[in-house]
Amino acid sequence: MSRTITTVKPGLQTCVQELPGREGFLEQGFPLSGPFDAWSFRQANILVGNDRDTAALECQFMGPTLTFDADMLIAVTGADMSPALDGAPIPMYATVAVSAGQTLTMGFAKTGARAYLAVSGGIATEPVLGSRAVFHQAGVGGHALIAGQTLPVGVSETSALYVLPESARPVIGTDRVWEVEALCGPNDDWLDEATIEMFFSTDWQIQTKSSRTGIRLTGPDFGFSDKALNKSPDHGQDPSNIIDHGYPMGAVNLAGQTPIILVNDAPSTGGFINPFTIASAAFWKLAQAKPNETLRFRRVDRDGAAALRAEIDAKTKPEILENA
Amino acid sequence: MAITQIEAALPGLVFHRPSPEAEPFKAPGDAVAVGDTLALVEVMKSFIPIEAEVAGTFKGYAAPDGESIEPGDVLCEIEVSE
Repeated sequence: MSRTITTVKPGLQTCVQELPGREGFLEQGFPLSGPFDAWSFRQANILVGNDRDTAALECQFMGPTLTFDADMLIAVTGADMSPALDGAPIPMYATVAVSAGQTLTMGFAKTGARAYLAVSGGIATEPVLGSRAVFHQAGVGGHALIAGQTLPVGVSETSALYVLPESARPVIGTDRVWEVEALCGPNDDWLDEATIEMFFSTDWQIQTKSSRTGIRLTGPDFGFSDKALNKSPDHGQDPSNIIDHGYPMGAVNLAGQTPIILVNDAPSTGGFINPFTIASAAFWKLAQAKPNETLRFRRVDRDGAAALRAEIDAKTKPEILENA
Repeated sequence: MAITQIEAALPGLVFHRPSPEAEPFKAPGDAVAVGDTLALVEVMKSFIPIEAEVAGTFKGYAAPDGESIEPGDVLCEIEVSE
């Protein structure tokens, strides 16, 4: 019996993702990729007995329909896409044993934007440049699922069924407003003082043109400091231009007057300033926020960001699981 | 004859035509076959075609061209042929 999953309906850009992503090629322009909401991704993996960083599926806005060609354990986390097995709803954040021939359907995201489906043994596609993470836009490491495609699944001996306690799950609110922790820098000194205050007190709207490459925001105009306005012509003409430099993951990249948060599939270098950087512990919120929802940035320092990161890290370890 | 409301499953911007200069996919009174494209929804910098799952007669768009929509919003109406 082949240990595979067959794609009946692909959903919207459903991709294999893996942690830590495609490390080591940033200088050649390959982004890290990997799951946008690593918190939900890791919880799906531990529920099926995998190492938390094992390759699994990221479903975006509209989930896939998949048939399992062998018995395995599955878990669905993140956005609620009404997962159902042979038509019967299945719980999220819990291990579910599926039999060969059963079909999982996932619909549109009722809350959040991205759901994760982990299978015991993990998705066993061939790694490219050291990772199974898919950078769909460039076709690196494969592409989004297409109808009829089969995915190989790794071997697993596990049969334990778990539930993830509610207190450890990410909370996807229904008020359409997200408080997102952000740090000043690296280029905050290119903005004037009032603009830095403005950034942390504005309701920013997420544009429809947002993806795993960047989250584009609509809001007030930015004002610049002397450093941006009276600079060497080598930096370029626009106040937001700077001589090409590396972009950190989570950078709030200012292209003219449009802030774009650079996320998993973003370019690694370029010629715009990055006045702020989103704390990595807040990435999952960017993954689950939908177009037209609101982001409010809360200023944290490096210690604050590290504490948030440690908090989530503890919630993605197998010790927190409860027996079903 | 029953009227079926086609609801958006994706959040994004709805477009009635394949490109800004083109004619709309459907006009009121047009025949609709299963699989016909009714509209595009732009999300994640991609244009996702919304295809008819029922056949009948197109009654009109409910969501304005180029406006933002949420899952569950009515995109258009089709009078289903028996």
